[in-house]
Amino acid sequence: MTAIELDGVTKRFSDVVALRNVDLTVRDGEIFGFLGPNGAGKSTTIDILLDFIRPTSGDVRVLGLDAQAESEAVRSRLGVLPDGYDVYERLTGRQHMEFAIESKAADDDAEALLDRVGILDAADRKAGGYSKGMTQRLMLAMALVGEPDMLILDEPSTGLDPNGAREMREIIREERDRGATIFFSSHILEQVEAVCDRVGILRDGELVAVDSIAGLRDAADQEMTLKVTVDEVTPAARDGVTDLPGVSNVITNGNTLSVTCDSDSKTEVLDALEFAGAEVRDFSTEQASLEELFAAYTTSEVSA
Amino acid sequence: MTLDAASVRAVAKKDFQDAVRSRLLWALSVLFILFAGGMAYLYTEIQNASGNELAALDLIFFLQSPVGLLIPLTGLLLGYKSVAGEIETGSVKILLSLPHSRGSVLLGKLFGRTGVLTVPILVGFAVAAVVVLALYPVFTAKYYLAFVAVTILFGLAYVSIAVAISAMTKSTSRAAVGIVSAFVAFNMLWEVIGYGIHYVVTLITEGDGVFFPGFANEAPTWFLFYQRLSPNGAFGGALTSALPRDSSFSEFFPSGDVPFYLADWFSLVILALWVIVPLYLGYLRFDAADL
Repeated sequence: MTAIELDGVTKRFSDVVALRNVDLTVRDGEIFGFLGPNGAGKSTTIDILLDFIRPTSGDVRVLGLDAQAESEAVRSRLGVLPDGYDVYERLTGRQHMEFAIESKAADDDAEALLDRVGILDAADRKAGGYSKGMTQRLMLAMALVGEPDMLILDEPSTGLDPNGAREMREIIREERDRGATIFFSSHILEQVEAVCDRVGILRDGELVAVDSIAGLRDAADQEMTLKVTVDEVTPAARDGVTDLPGVSNVITNGNTLSVTCDSDSKTEVLDALEFAGAEVRDFSTEQASLEELFAAYTTSEVSA
Repeated sequence: MTLDAASVRAVAKKDFQDAVRSRLLWALSVLFILFAGGMAYLYTEIQNASGNELAALDLIFFLQSPVGLLIPLTGLLLGYKSVAGEIETGSVKILLSLPHSRGSVLLGKLFGRTGVLTVPILVGFAVAAVVVLALYPVFTAKYYLAFVAVTILFGLAYVSIAVAISAMTKSTSRAAVGIVSAFVAFNMLWEVIGYGIHYVVTLITEGDGVFFPGFANEAPTWFLFYQRLSPNGAFGGALTSALPRDSSFSEFFPSGDVPFYLADWFSLVILALWVIVPLYLGYLRFDAADL
């Protein structure tokens, strides 16, 4: 069974196209990271999964059910941490939990779940007084009610400190190990790299890539930076490297050249230097950071 | 429409709990106690001064008009933020991430908010009953209870109107405009519009326009029916259905051989429709909306 299946989904808001013909399959039991800059359409997609909004065209199935016609059945099997929500200020954390437990006809222990997310000591305080990080934890606890088949987490690390984000990832892994599918969105690739089996990248309402992080790296054919130290940087050596087709930038610093080039142009750079009479003393390569990789997909450089 | 009893109960309970923690419920309770208790005291004073025999029925008559103003005001105020407020703050995402249908949400809101209105009504009228009992030995509980029950139904209708208005917009300021309009329409304009219609009808049928159609037994039946079509008119009619025929109410309402739609029980039906129809219309809009 597939956990999520979007088939040709388009969503138009009066004059804006938020999603354009999106096809997406999330497999049962995987941790799927849904990436894209703010405004790319991540929340729109999640809102469609939850039937908050309806697609202009296309089919959406969640846990094998029709996301619109069978939305209550879908949501009874989901745990959701929404984005841009507000808690019920006058209700305590415990009352929030009781509401979720009653709504899902579950028999969870509110205290055990609050303890699991680390806010048990705040259980009887009004949620209106919680910090953003605490409300995120409360929402996660509510999402865990009823051992859902799938967790949908929209920007879950919003407001969490690094320690909180780590705890969040631990819970995500535990839930996956229990057998749940995890679908979570983020605009920061680093956050998903540590936990995701696969990621999908959304750009301006279009799904530009779905792959593992390693697969994305290969597909992006990222440029790298090659640092070469030579005996002397002559104009001929510099020009020889700059003129290579795979090289986009050369910066000279003393006897060191920083060459930005395609990942398969390394040998050509070194050959060009030797051809110009320079003696290579040392060289190193730097792979593009995840941030650069993400930027490559979410700006127009790459499309897979 | 999918409605689920457990779902409705969970939403209503959450909504009520939320309100109990606000000052609103307590403020309303104090208001109703002061109002009903004060009116009861005033009433016994008037009765004692005039030497007439005191009856609970007359107390009800005494209370009816102010209740007819107080309930619409409080009912509309209690309901107008119920849905639009949740959409505005985003808490609706918590509500609808859970397996509630939008229909269950609206029904739960209706019951939750009506609960918030019912508590002060019960407390206020209980205090009024105690005042009457303390100052005067005779008190007919049966009719008094019927009055309280019809008042709660009346409250249900106005909360339904407010929740429906709230469900039709995503902004509480627009919902506020909506409830003010509803209040003006039902409490001020309805009667005036009726006179206008009567003027036009008489102008056409009799060649001479008359605004005021006369009292109960003189006015044409369509006009009497029109009067009872508003929630307030239906409230008045429903009260007569719950009270004995010889009360001071009856003289304002047609009696004897009347068409079924002017029968007192039919006012109860109209009042019930004021609970169901607005909420259903609100549901149609809410259910189709992108949140």
